[in-house]
Amino acid sequence: MSCVYDKEKLTALLAGELDAGERVLLEMHLETCPECQADLAGLREAWLLMGEVPAPEPSAAMEAGFQAILHNYSRENDTGESWWRRLATGSGRLWHLQPRLPLAFSIFLLLTGLGAGYFLNRGTHNNEAVAAGQVEQLTTQVREMKQAMMVNLLADPSASERIRGVSYTDGIGKVDRQVADALLTTLNNDPNVNVRLVTLEALVRFAQEPYVREGLIQSIAQQDSPLMQSAIADVMVKLMERRSVHSLQELLRKKDINEMVRQKIEQSIHRLI
Amino acid sequence: MQKLTDRLDFFSDNALMLKVKGGDLDKMGLLFQRYHRPLYGFLFHMTKEKEASEDIVQNVFFRMLKYRHAFTGGEFKTWMYHVARNVLNDHFKRSGKTGGHYPVEVVEERIAGEQHADLPLEKKQELKALEAALQSLSAENRELLILSRWQELKYSEIARILDISEGAVKVRVHRALQLLRTNYLKMNL
Repeated sequence: MSCVYDKEKLTALLAGELDAGERVLLEMHLETCPECQADLAGLREAWLLMGEVPAPEPSAAMEAGFQAILHNYSRENDTGESWWRRLATGSGRLWHLQPRLPLAFSIFLLLTGLGAGYFLNRGTHNNEAVAAGQVEQLTTQVREMKQAMMVNLLADPSASERIRGVSYTDGIGKVDRQVADALLTTLNNDPNVNVRLVTLEALVRFAQEPYVREGLIQSIAQQDSPLMQSAIADVMVKLMERRSVHSLQELLRKKDINEMVRQKIEQSIHRLI
Repeated sequence: MQKLTDRLDFFSDNALMLKVKGGDLDKMGLLFQRYHRPLYGFLFHMTKEKEASEDIVQNVFFRMLKYRHAFTGGEFKTWMYHVARNVLNDHFKRSGKTGGHYPVEVVEERIAGEQHADLPLEKKQELKALEAALQSLSAENRELLILSRWQELKYSEIARILDISEGAVKVRVHRALQLLRTNYLKMNL
């Protein structure tokens, strides 16, 4: 215990950790130091005994087991597999994108539809405009034709033909001055009371026209048939035309007026006032 | 194939491991052939458990395979022991053992009849006493002696594995051997 020599060098000597120079220095010291000799002997005994311990042997199963692990792992990871793996990953990514593809497709379809619809619609608009123009043109032509035919028919000697002429006003929404004049002339002058009644009914449909209304009022005094007088009185009440009161009062002053018509006209005047 | 294997045996551990890292995974088989015995020895001396040691060896090589990209090109052997010590620590944590002291009686029982069947009775006694002395050391001291004596690692290698200085290894191995000697003498009375 009195020796202050570096004892770690004794173990290092055993472990083969000393270089040649250190070994020589140690051996020189050992020759003169019994304490270090004893220490080295003890350490060497333990060291050598350790060397006699047989190396533990693993079972053959361990190596076989690892080779199997390695084989499986390689199969999953070597370049060939990684190619598959990349393909699988790629497909996986595609699958991941999958909800977006239909969305993109839907948007594409929607835009295509809108675009196509826009152009088609614009075309249709054009066609419609053309067609509407043509239809309007045709309608005008038909109306003019009808009016011409009506005017001609009203001059026809046959009462039934004149009634047919009046019936042509059914399809006409609006009358021009010429047609209105023709109808009012028929209303005032037609010899057949049926033609005049039909004409009155036709004119009532155009009563919103001030010219027609004025003609109807003036027509009151000119009617001599009790049927016509009664009918025209009804029309005035229906139209609530107060200006007709004067004409109706004039009608009452006619000496050959039917008693029933008189009462009817008086009632009408009463309702209009 | 045999010739190829022979030729590959000339490659250094590091060269083989770099091949593994580069995707040639089968080269790990060669490294396994080189190191599975010493590694098993280290683990068996540390644990005294045969099956657990075999499992850990497989686990260590599998981890090196799996984390091959973590191999930085340093010394393969050092890296292998680093990995092995981590797996070993996990094993000790899982099994609830510390890898520290075993009661001498338990150790004597455990090693009785093991390995030394063919040796003379006196030598058997000596070896039993030695192993008992070894098991009575702390895990740190035991590990130092195993690495130095049985794994035949240089102080510089042990220093890298344990992440301590070479000087510290020199001091600690000496102290561990002294302790072993002292305990052995007590055991072999």
